[in-house]
Formats: sequence, C-alpha cells, structure tokens
Amino acid sequence: MNIKELYQEIILEHGKNPRNLRKTDNFNKDAKGNNPLCGDNVHIYLKLDEKKKVEDISFEGSGCAISMASASIMTDLIKGKEEPEVKEIVNDFLGMIKENPELKSKNLKEDEKTKLMCLSGVKQYPMRVKCATLSWHTLISAIDNTQEEINTEQLG
Amino acid sequence: MSISNIKKEFPIFNNKIHNNDLVYLDSANSSQKPQSVIDRVNEFYTNEFSNTGRSVHYLAVAATNLYENTRSSIQKYINAKDKNEIVFTKGATEAINLVANTFGQKYLEQGDEILITELEHHSNYVPWHFLRQSKGIKIEFAEINDDGEITLESIEKKITSKTKLIAITHLSNVTGAVLPVKEITELAHSKGIAVLVDGCQGAPHLKLDMQDIDCDFYAISCHKMYGPTGLGVLYAKKKWLEQLPPYQGGGGMINDVKKDSITYGDLPNKYEAGTMATAQVIAFDQSIKFLEKIGIENIVKHEQELIEYGQEILRKNNSVKLIGSPKNKGAVLSFTIKGVHPHDIATILDEDGVAIRAGHHCCQILHDKLGIPASARASLGVYNTKEDLDQLNSSINNCKKIFNL
Ligand SMILES: Cc1ncc(COP(=O)(O)O)c(C=O)c1O
Repeated sequence: MNIKELYQEIILEHGKNPRNLRKTDNFNKDAKGNNPLCGDNVHIYLKLDEKKKVEDISFEGSGCAISMASASIMTDLIKGKEEPEVKEIVNDFLGMIKENPELKSKNLKEDEKTKLMCLSGVKQYPMRVKCATLSWHTLISAIDNTQEEINTEQLG
Repeated sequence: MSISNIKKEFPIFNNKIHNNDLVYLDSANSSQKPQSVIDRVNEFYTNEFSNTGRSVHYLAVAATNLYENTRSSIQKYINAKDKNEIVFTKGATEAINLVANTFGQKYLEQGDEILITELEHHSNYVPWHFLRQSKGIKIEFAEINDDGEITLESIEKKITSKTKLIAITHLSNVTGAVLPVKEITELAHSKGIAVLVDGCQGAPHLKLDMQDIDCDFYAISCHKMYGPTGLGVLYAKKKWLEQLPPYQGGGGMINDVKKDSITYGDLPNKYEAGTMATAQVIAFDQSIKFLEKIGIENIVKHEQELIEYGQEILRKNNSVKLIGSPKNKGAVLSFTIKGVHPHDIATILDEDGVAIRAGHHCCQILHDKLGIPASARASLGVYNTKEDLDQLNSSINNCKKIFNL
C-alpha cells in the first residue's frame, strides 16, 4: 500500500481546483449528499434538456481531497451524456470501487476511464470509500427523486 | 512505576502499524490498556467468574466483593464522601442520560433552563435536547472566547432565574481548555443551581477531588482512563441519589415487588438495574491501581511538558494552525493545515503509524462556531513521549509535501 497511489497528482489537482464547483442556473434536478461521520457534504445540480441529456452539471460543497476530486471528475465526465448513459456510468464506477478490477462501461472513452481509475486507490482504504462515492450516490438521487416530482410538468 | 518507560506496560506498542512503530495520539477518543487490566479481565473469566449480588455460593460472594472493591477504589481516587455516591453505568454517555432522565423528570418544567457551553460533546447536549422536546425546557450556551476557553464570566452572563442546572465539560476534547469547575460550582450553588461536570477528559488527566469541586454530578468514562470499554461512572451527591427517581427498572434495583406496588432498593443498587459489566468493573480496579502507582502529580507534570512541547513545535510549523490557546490546557492538540482536509491528514499520518482523529469529534456546535467543518486532533496519554510528537510533526511535513505545500 502506498499513499501516493491514493493521492495521485490528478486527484490533488482536482481536489485543489475542482471543476464545476458552482450552481447551475435554471437547474431542474438537484440533491444533497452528506457524510455525517466525516462532515463531507455535497449538493449536486443538474440541468437536463428535453431529451434528458445533461446540459449542465455542477456542485457545491466541502470535503476532503478525495471527495472533492471525485465530484470534480464526475461532473466533468457526465456533462453531455444522456440519462441512461449516466446511470450506467455511475453503476460501473460504484462497481469498480466496490469489487471490479476495471471499468466496463461502453459509454466511457479510454481517457475518461483512465481518469476515473485514478480514484481506484481508495479500494485500499475502506474508511475512505464513502468519500469517493458520496457525489456519485447523490447524482443518482438527484436523477431519481426529481424525476418523480417534476417529470410530467417540466419535461413532458 | 516510572513514567519514562511506561510504554512497556502496554502490549499494543509491540505491534507494527504499516511496518512502523505505533504512535498513538487518540487517547481522548479511547486510551490503550495496560497489561494488568487486560490480564484481570482474563483472570476473572478464567478462574473467578460469577454474577454478583444474587447468589450465596462462594464464587458469587467473591465476585460481589471484588465488584464492591472497585467502587471503594473509585471513591478514594476521586475523594467522594461516600462509597454509595459511585454508580456504575455503561459509559459517561449513560451517566449523563441518567441525570437528564431522573433530574429532568422530577425537577424540570416548561421554561426552565439548562446552561451548557459551546465546548460540549454531543453526549452533554443531546440528552438535554430530549428534555427540550419532551418538556419544553430551554438550553442556553455559554460562549467561548478567542482562546477557546469558557470563563466564569461567560457562565455568569447566561445564568437567569430560570437556570436549574449547569452542565459543563471539565476539559474540552477539542481545545483542551480546562474549565474553572470549582468556581463555577460555587457560583451556581450560591444561586441554588445544580452542577453536572462531564469529566470524560478531566478524569484521565487531572487530580480529582469531588469534595473540593463540590459539583453535584460528575460523569466518567472508564475506557479513557486505561480501563475497559462498556463502563462508566456517575458520581452523584448522596442527597441527589436519595431524592431522584430510579433510572432503569429491573432485577437488582428493587426492594419489594407486589402485584400492586414496588419499592426500590437502597443505594447504590437503586441505579444499577440488571446484570452489570462485572468483568469490566473488576478490571477497572487495576486501572485505578495503575494510575495510583504512577501518581497523578507525575501524570500531570509529564503531560503538561508534552502539551507545551507539542504546541511549541506545531506553532513553528507554518501552515499548521492550532485550535484554541487556553492558558490552562490539557492533553489535546487540535489543528488544521491550510489546504489539506483533516481526513486527508489522518489517512496520510496513519501510513506512518501515527494514529490521530479527524472530524468534528462529536462537537459540531464548536466547529460551527469556529467556522470549520472538521479538525485534526492529536490527544495524549501517559505513554506518549516527545519522540511521538516529533514523529507527528515530521508526518505532518510529509503530508504537506504530498499536497505540494
Ligand atoms: C468530553 C466527552 N464527553 C463524553 C464522551 C462520551 O463518553 P462515552 O463514549 O464513554 O460514553 C466523550 C467521549 O468521546 C467525551 O470526550
């Protein structure tokens, strides 16, 4: 186990200068995530167009380098993808963090996979897994919850 | 027993953590256990086990005597007037809940106020919140000053004619501030207000004298005092234990049970319902012996040297910011590093075998006040040395390097 595998340059860089750390104007889906044990918190904002494509995604929150980098990399990758693709990517990522050696998603390009695999170091640090997965779970809850509430009225 | 090679008494230090010597700086969370305490648990279960108080056979009588011996040892150690002022609980948390329940039930009414401080651990806030919900009492918070201290004046400011109880920590588990509990008690009593001291952090590090402090209640967590988990102590003045209603009902706490009426047992049985943590109580006697053998004066001196040394080296380390600078400070060094989240600090330090805690340390009110979501905390025990603090500092430097600071 080497601490440098966890804190790779790309993670430190995203942790320090997170992408999409702001609030999307006219977002139509959002959800909050919170890690009460660590004090990490995240609020994800999504703007889906009529075809359920991610027009914009952003987040607000604070947390450790791992959770900030994870949210930053995630929001970068998700932008422009369609909802079923997003869900598939999230499941693939969570599966990789949990047990799978690699990412399998057909919706990710090779360089995107490489970027995401930088987060695989947390597998060796069970206490830190929730830091890496918080924003991903929150994204799913944003997609699912708000869909139930506003689907018919806003997107119909 | 000399404090300079006290680590030898603690078998945990024979282990390597990630191939490094263990530098244990999380004693405010829970302390490590000396061999004598570990052996005592084993010995009791191996050769002496029986439940206490209920049977007349040889083992039951012997176990009961051992159990009561610990009560007497604690009484002496904290200089309580009466052995029956010592009540065993499952932890300090239960000790505080016991007071909140019984005192709350009998003496508190809507509009009454409990005065606590911004330094309090959640276990000295949440039980009072329950009363806020069930009885409509109010909770007031005495405010910290810039040094992270609670002064007598900050308490005085918040006392009103409605204040019924002041519940305060003896030693903050975040800033390390030692509160003037004796003076606060004197002030409170002059106004007819009762005082509960959360002694979780005070008990392992300070000389305890209940008759001198004169507080009404004092809560102790045995696992932070080199003792077993699952055990706490509530010290309460006899007059309170006699007046307050029982806490939990069950076997052992009764006197006479009829279909239409029940009377309760005498002290201390009235508050010890059901089978207690017998092995832990008996082993805790060894923790008291351990502390007595070193001598609390020596412990205070040793830890004071360490805390001053720790503050000195961390102050010199730029990018490290210590939380609080109380004049009277106990065995806690909480800090932040600009640009590194406390959880990242803790993970990186752990790689070197340096065990600290990161988070809000069950003090969210305090962290909100300080405007930070979390902090890193190195806390000391008798076994720590200046070398441990040097290692802490060099691991912090490594952490800064990883983060390119
Ligand atoms: C100041 C303070 N109060 C209360 C507690 C709770 O003690 P226990 O977990 O033993 O019940 C702790 C321990 O974390 C503490 O530090």
